[in-house]
Amino acid sequence: MWLTSKIKQVLMVAKPGVVTLKYPFVPRPAPENFRGQPYWDHHKCIGCGGCASHCPARTILVRDLCQELRVMVYDGSRCTYCGRCADVCPEKAITMTDRYELATGDKNDINETMELFMATCQRCGRCYDHETTNAIDKMTRIGYKYDNLEMRAVLPVSSEQFDMKLYEKTEKFKRPEKMGE
Amino acid sequence: MPTKDQIIKTLKDRFGSAVIGSESPKPERLFVDIKSGKVRDISNELVAMGGRYLVSVGYDSIADNGALGMIHTFAFDRDSLYIGIRTSVPADNPVMDSITPDIPNAGWSEREYADLLGMKFTGHPKPKRLILADDWPEGIYPLRKEVPWNLMPPAAEDVAYQLDECPEGCSIIPVGPYHPTLHEPAHFAVYVDGETIKGSDYRGFMTHRGIEKLCQTQLTYNEVPFVAERICGICGSVHATSYAQAVESAADITISRRAEYIRTIMLEIERIHSHLLWLGLAGHLIGFDTVFMQSWRIREPIMWLGERMTGNRKTYGMIVIGGVRRDITPEIKDDILNVIQKVEEELLVVQKAIVGDTAIHRRTKGVGYVSTQDVVKWSLVGPVARARGVDIDVRRDHPYAAYDEMKFDVPVFNSNDVWATVLVRILEVFEAIKIIRQCLDKMPNDGPVLTELAAPIEPMRHGIAAVEAPRGEVVHYVITGKENSPERWRVRAPTYPNLQGVPLMLLNNQLADVPIIIGSIDPCFSCTDRMEVVDIRTGGVKVLAQDELETLSRQIK
Amino acid sequence: MDILIVVANIVIFLACAPFFEGIVRKLTAKVHSRQGPPLIQPYLDLLKLLGKESITAGNWAFKLAPMMALASIITAIAFIPLGYTTNYLTQYGDIISVVYLLTLGGVSVLLGALSSKNTYAMVGASREMITMIMVEPVLAMTFILGAVKSKGLAIDAAVFSTLNNGYGWSYVLMLVVFLMALQAFVAKQPFDIAEAEVEILEGPFIEYSGPNFAMFKYYLMLKQMFYASLFVAVFIPFLATGSYLLNVLIQLVEILVVFVLIALTASTNPRLRIDQAMKYYAVLIVMSLAAVGLTAYGI
Repeated sequence: MWLTSKIKQVLMVAKPGVVTLKYPFVPRPAPENFRGQPYWDHHKCIGCGGCASHCPARTILVRDLCQELRVMVYDGSRCTYCGRCADVCPEKAITMTDRYELATGDKNDINETMELFMATCQRCGRCYDHETTNAIDKMTRIGYKYDNLEMRAVLPVSSEQFDMKLYEKTEKFKRPEKMGE
Repeated sequence: MPTKDQIIKTLKDRFGSAVIGSESPKPERLFVDIKSGKVRDISNELVAMGGRYLVSVGYDSIADNGALGMIHTFAFDRDSLYIGIRTSVPADNPVMDSITPDIPNAGWSEREYADLLGMKFTGHPKPKRLILADDWPEGIYPLRKEVPWNLMPPAAEDVAYQLDECPEGCSIIPVGPYHPTLHEPAHFAVYVDGETIKGSDYRGFMTHRGIEKLCQTQLTYNEVPFVAERICGICGSVHATSYAQAVESAADITISRRAEYIRTIMLEIERIHSHLLWLGLAGHLIGFDTVFMQSWRIREPIMWLGERMTGNRKTYGMIVIGGVRRDITPEIKDDILNVIQKVEEELLVVQKAIVGDTAIHRRTKGVGYVSTQDVVKWSLVGPVARARGVDIDVRRDHPYAAYDEMKFDVPVFNSNDVWATVLVRILEVFEAIKIIRQCLDKMPNDGPVLTELAAPIEPMRHGIAAVEAPRGEVVHYVITGKENSPERWRVRAPTYPNLQGVPLMLLNNQLADVPIIIGSIDPCFSCTDRMEVVDIRTGGVKVLAQDELETLSRQIK
Repeated sequence: MDILIVVANIVIFLACAPFFEGIVRKLTAKVHSRQGPPLIQPYLDLLKLLGKESITAGNWAFKLAPMMALASIITAIAFIPLGYTTNYLTQYGDIISVVYLLTLGGVSVLLGALSSKNTYAMVGASREMITMIMVEPVLAMTFILGAVKSKGLAIDAAVFSTLNNGYGWSYVLMLVVFLMALQAFVAKQPFDIAEAEVEILEGPFIEYSGPNFAMFKYYLMLKQMFYASLFVAVFIPFLATGSYLLNVLIQLVEILVVFVLIALTASTNPRLRIDQAMKYYAVLIVMSLAAVGLTAYGI
């Protein structure tokens, strides 16, 4: 009984044979519709900031350097490749490419920066909000943008106040002089 | 079985003025507002009427009425009914009765809110820290609104979690925080006498990422599904669907039938891949790597299918509030049918090989025994419960998406051990294949897969939704908020209740069985650890844990 | 010349043991439907480990243990004749000393484990100890069987007793027992209990790294090959020819077959629990005793 089940198992695995791929040596193209590295077409982009407003990982940052110049930065190191930016783009300026071998020693390799010349309106963000009909997808942050490009950080939506005196009130918070022991 | 009206009537008759009011936004949802003094009695009454405890949701409503809110939720499985009993305690004296002595599974929920909201529960049997890092300053409650989401208190290295008292004559074997059995950091201290387990203590929540707080404060409704999906690397769609359904239930949104069918298909595809993954891991945990590799071989086409359908192997990113993002085209439909056909054939072969293998029986039969009564008492869910004779399945008991039109069996076994869990999961793969075929067969073509919302979602409405994840029942509770963002979002992954039952399963088993017993619930620590505290100074925690481990590992009694 | 054959003995073992390990890994990979590592991977592993920093987690015993293990197995190999011919050293030892040397290897593992004071190593050591106590008798009985037959404790007489005395029913029984115990001798599934990766993270070896671990790894590989070659020498003497070189070659091929068997068994079995394994070992001991008993009656 035991022996037959073992022989059966060996025969069972003999049928499919080796299935692992020689992947890094033999390339494996991604399928159609794959959500790989996003690509911004700066010709099409109107700088509405809809993508920045919908990025769950907050990897798309916007800063208006002056009235006419808007900088958009895509920080690839934090991107989750959900493809929402491509979904919401009213001009279809963003495409999800089939590139997925993005490991790199230099973060800048996967970042993308665009400097857009904005004509007149840059504050209301209405060009995006005009397009979308879904109430839940309306832009939440309209107006002047000043994301921290150097720190790669979005300014928080709401700035909470936290009284630092709370720390002093807490008990049992001793720091050891030496670690371990 | 009691109906909704009967439940309200019984509560009103028995507790009179303690029941303030009730609200039933949908036929299968009921919210009862009660006074905090009677919370224990009313919870017990609900359980006596046939309710199953789900989870508790605490929230900060200090700005509105100067109180901390607490909602205990229960499911009535035979009546497709979810009940939330809402109560609140004043923020300056947040004391309420603990329901844990009668409903042991509430233990973690209550400890959680003791940590995060500063509530106090009288009569709690184990009022230890659960969520927060050991060096988190006392008196700062991160889920309260005054605390910013990115608060980082300085670390302290000399505080350590105090493990439960080790039984007389036992030595402590640390399993974790880093251990090949666990795949994710969590610490089980196993008290062994020779090789026999006499007890255990758990200290987890080492990877809270504060997702709930983050999403409540920083993200909008439609961004949360993508974060929810990343709560768990295995059952992503489940969390996204559950969240979307909770919001839809709160905001009373009806989505197109086709979108519901596509959601069902995604959930079932996820179930197939998850069960095959677990089967492989179970093989690995008992040292049988061939099962591991073969079931993962069968699983791989499913991953590739996901890639073709949604654009990604695993984090499908399909589900948003209002429906799904991509439709299923006729080509994809054929593709799905081909792949699941192949999976079915190959799994049949593997099933025969495993079910007849006496060597596997030796390692799994009679291991991790928990009696059916204990499973009910501890509110365990999913395959863990079904392998122990408890016939619950959200898909059948509380139909969501398109499950009301599906015909499928819910495998239940009575041998109460790990072997039954293996069988349940294998059989559920076949059921999942059956469901996908029915879905593709019946799928209607009624309008867009993404329903658009005409108006913003109204604030302060409560929604609860559960989804049967591969490992059990996922519960999401949403209170809608202003500014296109949820006010409170509570996630309860299936591992949350199941992990609380692990000490029960470990008791009196062999040390060698620890991996497969812990593995049998398919623990997902990232699901369990989600939580409100953003970055608890990971570095500090690591030092601590290592320290703790070292001390423990030198400590041979 | 005599001493050359002893040296050849050791060199062949040292050179081939990682190769057989490579075969096991490749074959296991095939059963897993994987490509698997190249056959020379174990050599590379050893080299890499040797080049790493030596981290000690215990006292002097911790460093001594791997050397002792490696030395004891190499000494045992020196005594055991390869190629169905006795060598110079064989006459100086007897079966007791071989059993003793093999046990010394196990004891070194225990020593290393216990000196590291790691909890997992402790559990591993206690399991290793049980395995040693329960499986060692089977090995001893195999030798004693030959000794009883040839009425002496000399190694050559014990090892070549089938070659010299022909097969009997007691040998068939012993062969079955040895085959059943083989997985335990080489510490592969279902009897890799002491090292169980997912339970106690390689047990006795958990604190070892770098060159010290390389020595233990080499020890384990040599031990596996030793048991396989012992099986071949004792139970499959039919293909022995006149030429030493040819004999060695034939023996190596036969060892390869034994390793294929080991790999297939290991990859189609889950690990047993120690209590289940003990019951199994007990049966083996009784059966091996019966085999010796049968020999005493000349069957």
